[in-house]
Amino acid sequence: MKPVPVEVYEPFKAGLPPLRRYWRLLWARRAFISEYSRSELHEKHFDSVFGQVWLILNPLLLSGVYFLLIVIIGGQSDKFRYGHLTASLFLFYFVANSMTAGSKSVVKGQKLILNTAFPRIMLPISAAYISFIRFLPTVLVFFVIRTAMGFPFGWAMLWAIPVAAITGILALGLSILISCANVYFRDIGSFLPYFSRTWLYLSPILYEVSALKPKLRSIEAFNPLFPILDSWSRSIVRNEAPQAASLLQGLAWALGILLVGTYFFLSRERDFAVRV
Amino acid sequence: MSKSEHKSGELAISVQHLGLVYKTTIDRRPTLKARVRTLGRGTKHTRIVHALDDVMLDVPYGSVLGVVGANGAGKSTLMRVISGILPPSHGRVEVYGKVSTLLALGVGFNPSLSGRENVQLGGLAAGMSRRDIEDHFEEIADFAELGDAIDAPMRTYSSGMFARLGFSVAVTVRPDILIVDEALSTGDAKFKEKSLNKIKELRSEDRALVLVSHGLGTIREVCNEVAWLHKGKLIQRGEPNKIVDAYEKFLKVGKSAAIDEDV
Repeated sequence: MKPVPVEVYEPFKAGLPPLRRYWRLLWARRAFISEYSRSELHEKHFDSVFGQVWLILNPLLLSGVYFLLIVIIGGQSDKFRYGHLTASLFLFYFVANSMTAGSKSVVKGQKLILNTAFPRIMLPISAAYISFIRFLPTVLVFFVIRTAMGFPFGWAMLWAIPVAAITGILALGLSILISCANVYFRDIGSFLPYFSRTWLYLSPILYEVSALKPKLRSIEAFNPLFPILDSWSRSIVRNEAPQAASLLQGLAWALGILLVGTYFFLSRERDFAVRV
Repeated sequence: MSKSEHKSGELAISVQHLGLVYKTTIDRRPTLKARVRTLGRGTKHTRIVHALDDVMLDVPYGSVLGVVGANGAGKSTLMRVISGILPPSHGRVEVYGKVSTLLALGVGFNPSLSGRENVQLGGLAAGMSRRDIEDHFEEIADFAELGDAIDAPMRTYSSGMFARLGFSVAVTVRPDILIVDEALSTGDAKFKEKSLNKIKELRSEDRALVLVSHGLGTIREVCNEVAWLHKGKLIQRGEPNKIVDAYEKFLKVGKSAAIDEDV
């Protein structure tokens, strides 16, 4: 009786690998994803004196800078504006960090890619996961701020959870898409800071959606973060339910980017070993 | 990590008419800038490399295949195709079992973590489960002979210590098929001896091993069969002493009509 081969490697055609098998392999490596992410976090944060405290200190200092800018220098007494800004900024940094980390993930994992067989998509997934872990303490910091400033509490705040989940999908999709693009064009990493800075200004962070000139409202249609940030600010800052249309629009963007990114990544990843 | 169920003599790896041609970038760092600058000028950014050409190999269980060849012969590429890292361009590779690779030492290790944490990380990278790693941790640590240094960050390790831990993790995965690329050349004489013995021990447990080495003495000593690659082609394969003698002769002469006839 001839035994059945466990693995067969043949020339691959363009397009996707068998998805069910790929998913199984990825699932089998989930412990590695978390361990790998943990080691990256460890490397980033344990070398400094404050260690893990930086994860909290960083958003705290950031919000302090904006407090100085808006409340003290700007003389704005509108506490909601400050709340909106910090909350939105923290969410924005979740997405932006995921992009930056994602762009480096595949090239950084070069040694792993050249010497071990594993689903390569693990690398940008772990980059997005790390950004999520770094996002969590900022939520905590925001809760301290909003309690101190006496914002209304209520059940509508729970809407922030699905909004954060949608943001997570978007962050993951961008991480995957950019990590793949960066293999072919290494200077994407240098463009990213300018890109995310522009994106920051085009998003309702330093201003609220209602304050935007009607003429400029058209950017809303091209910015995935627009509906997401609006929903986020409404729920977590003002304790209001977000508009269903915004939520759906945000979700559609996030899923769209995730699908496109994953498609590109999976159809390209077998080429990575000779490209990195 | 069950005991290997394969019988000696059964097929472990079958490489059929394997060819690998790949495009690689000429630019050291492919950038968008370079693409835009040369747009429309027909400048090529990739070149074609013929890394392997019609290679045929069978490795049965219970045997050790040695692979020799000059630098750039395609040895490492062949190992990467067998372990599923590079997809072949022609032909077919069938693998009948779980493969563990030791292509470079300490892959997946993070120098700022301790040796203990890196055993976790490296083991998971090699496809072990957390439980497996815990169960075998003592064994891995003992074999690497690190003593208390196992809890020190790996950046404080000497390269020999680093290599020892990498080797221990790879052999403890208990693979059906182990692929080792040049890993025995690191470490001091004592550890070299020890790892050689480990390789021999694995051989006697009805596994299949593929060993790439420039250490021809090692090849003669542990292999049942040797394949000699040159410029992506399989030149000869057969009984170790015969092939190694021919290879040594070739190295001394530098050129041989049989090899260069159509290059």
